[in-house]
Amino acid sequence: MPLLLDSWLTGGETLPRSLTATQRYPASVTEQDPDQAAGALDGVRVIECSETSAGAYCGRLLAGLGASVTLIEPPLGHPMRRSGPFRADVPDREGGASHLHLQRHKQSIRLNVASGAGRRMLDQHLSKADVLIIDVDRRRWQDLGLQPEAVIDRHPDLQVCTITPFGTEGPRSDWRGSELTLYAAGGYLRIGGEPEREPVKAWGEQGHMQAGLHAALGIVTALYAQAGGQLIDTAIFEAVAFLLGGGHQHAWFFDREPVRNGARLVGFGPGHLYPSTIRPCQDGWVHAHCNNRYPEAMAVLFDQPQLAAPDLLASLMGRADEVDELMEPVLAATPRREIVRRAQELRIPFTEVLAPSEVLADDDGHHAARDFWQTTPHPRGGDVLAPGPALRLGRTAWVDGVAPRLGEHNGRLGTPKQRVQWRRAGVA
Amino acid sequence: MLPEARLNPYPRVDCRPLDGVRVLDLTTAVAGPVATTLLGALGAEVLRIETPWAKPRSPASALPYRGEGPDEPWNREPRQNELAHSKRSIALNLTTEAGRDVFLDLVERSDVVLENYSPRVMGNFGLEWDALCDRNPEIIHVSMPAFGKSGPWRDRISYGPGIDAMSGMSWLTGYADGSPLKPGNFYCDQNAGLSAALSTVAALIARDRVGGQAVELAMLEGELQLIGDAIIGQQLTGREPTRIGNQHSSAAPHGVYPAAPLLDDPDSWIAIACRDDDEWHALLRVWDNPSVACDRRFATGLRRWKHRSKLDCLLGSFTSDQDPVVLANRLQDAGVPASPVMGARSLLRDEHVHARHSVGGLPHPQVGWSPAPQAAFRLSQTPSPPKSAGPLFAADTIPVLRDILGYSEEQIANLLASGAASDRLRDR
Repeated sequence: MPLLLDSWLTGGETLPRSLTATQRYPASVTEQDPDQAAGALDGVRVIECSETSAGAYCGRLLAGLGASVTLIEPPLGHPMRRSGPFRADVPDREGGASHLHLQRHKQSIRLNVASGAGRRMLDQHLSKADVLIIDVDRRRWQDLGLQPEAVIDRHPDLQVCTITPFGTEGPRSDWRGSELTLYAAGGYLRIGGEPEREPVKAWGEQGHMQAGLHAALGIVTALYAQAGGQLIDTAIFEAVAFLLGGGHQHAWFFDREPVRNGARLVGFGPGHLYPSTIRPCQDGWVHAHCNNRYPEAMAVLFDQPQLAAPDLLASLMGRADEVDELMEPVLAATPRREIVRRAQELRIPFTEVLAPSEVLADDDGHHAARDFWQTTPHPRGGDVLAPGPALRLGRTAWVDGVAPRLGEHNGRLGTPKQRVQWRRAGVA
Repeated sequence: MLPEARLNPYPRVDCRPLDGVRVLDLTTAVAGPVATTLLGALGAEVLRIETPWAKPRSPASALPYRGEGPDEPWNREPRQNELAHSKRSIALNLTTEAGRDVFLDLVERSDVVLENYSPRVMGNFGLEWDALCDRNPEIIHVSMPAFGKSGPWRDRISYGPGIDAMSGMSWLTGYADGSPLKPGNFYCDQNAGLSAALSTVAALIARDRVGGQAVELAMLEGELQLIGDAIIGQQLTGREPTRIGNQHSSAAPHGVYPAAPLLDDPDSWIAIACRDDDEWHALLRVWDNPSVACDRRFATGLRRWKHRSKLDCLLGSFTSDQDPVVLANRLQDAGVPASPVMGARSLLRDEHVHARHSVGGLPHPQVGWSPAPQAAFRLSQTPSPPKSAGPLFAADTIPVLRDILGYSEEQIANLLASGAASDRLRDR
């Protein structure tokens, strides 16, 4: 016979607050201010010289917050234009997925900064800018006129943000880095994967994306500080090391490295709560997580009184295999949506593991209700849905737009005659 | 044998970019506290508002007592200490009218309220946006709900790892032959925390123009930014992106390879990434294996990628008896991105980390030196390393009531006696 909620609440206890009927809600920012003002960073002019997703995401965040972001692209375009996926797998410098996502609402100036004339034109742009993002291999800074100290000497009010693998100072500042090796250098790679196998990194370029986010925070902070132009030295490996969170405490106080733990949390002792893991169910996987305030409610969800036994509750992480076994019969017989529905009714935070196509399908209409996806015309026809606002500010808009064509905004440079000369000289 | 772990004390900094900004911190778990530690280090005065009975008296994970003064295990919980650095601590019972009144008095004298409750909680306290705005039209109220304050999933509850599942991130992360994995312990939380700090500073910049505002950062929407290329790529190709572990989508060798076990670290690996012919030839100079160098299967980038399994096997047998630090140095000297797979402990022994102060030490009265990572950017004019270790529970209640709110001794005594405020940990 299934356990009833009442049967595990012993005499005198009341339902935790979170189990009581929900009360009124504050209005969501999604419902506010139809005539929002311009973005929070309206009027801020940003020049982005980037070649990785770190600088691109940094620029994208600033553009979303309302800054005017100009992407300076080399003659062959930003390297992101050459990375897929592409429609029908045909390379397309205007239509790759990363480009359509990370270069939204930017302007593109195609400029050969390796030439003297190109460098002078960039410098003219910088004289009217507030922020410069330099996410270019530092071995080429000199050739491109992007030595940050020299730039800030010429433009003392400019915020000059460099994004490099290991930062501009320190004995390894000249080391090369790729997403994978920086994930390793920052220590976060080590905690991913199964204990008996090699460590495995998170999908995509998460180290670079986090570095872009740190850089954006550094830039807005420098703008707020109004302390004149600053050099903002962002290190991608540090953005990765920042992710370790409490891991630094364990390493320092216990002198030990964390051990990979599959889909379970890493670095917690046997007395820690469990589950927080991914388990198979009838039609896929669920993320199984107890409610930290009343883990015993798992006994109701799985119709397993042992899950509320005091000795097990005292050592959930230490007996994680046993907990997995107790969940298994119900999980194996239940589809994802159903187990999540039942769990959430009990205020147990289970969620479905969704594939990208399922995220897009949005079966419950959540993203649609929040008007999240942004319909974007693909340059070769048709539309794609792209992620909408990262942040929603009630009185200042999140500004969206399309990714620019290569050199789309070169028409704003100089006079028509000058543009012809520059084109012939291979400058712009 | 690696050098001893070392913690360089963070330098004292008298002038920080967010000096003069006061933040009321109602956050719990990981995402919110990450946001407020960042703001605290940047100079904001962060008042962490805790429930008077918030902490267990004897947490299982409490660090050994190493300091002077009273022995209070609840002040020695390492993860909490790290997530509370650069903050002050006061205890208020917001379920009482008197506790709420104190909070609203603080709102009048503050710039930011930051919370990561599920959407209904601030309403339950009677502290929605309207109530805060009535008391201080300049207030910035940052909310970090898991799914947002609107839409069908508004009432769902989830911790960060559950959002990794709902965003598609877990589906995408893992070995090519394995099941979905988390992208790390609290990846989504860290991302949301940084994003919330970014939106807070952006709203501060916009305040002169638009006044205070509500800011909503749905953790799910923050994380969907990080896999936008997979979301768009799925639409462009019509294929579900698959897990690829440490592989690159078009380059090889690109992986994590076994290295010789170190005396105090048997879990020894090296990450190596060859993204083009230059890096491949640089690798061959170090590898010095004529049969690999002449093997036609590895003659071009495309062929190396096609035969990557074989190549990974051969490279792994080369690296498996090499010291990962020595080999990474040789590879870097030759021009190959490579890094030993570091961990939290090896970072504390690393010269580059020490030189950059990536992770520094803060004195804590009950545990001695306590480590904390700093954000991945350095501001040249307004440096902002973490400023103080996690505060002792409720240590600032009386100073805040007296000095910020100007309450009389009698008012303070009444608040303490009624339990609306507390200067120590209480039992419920």
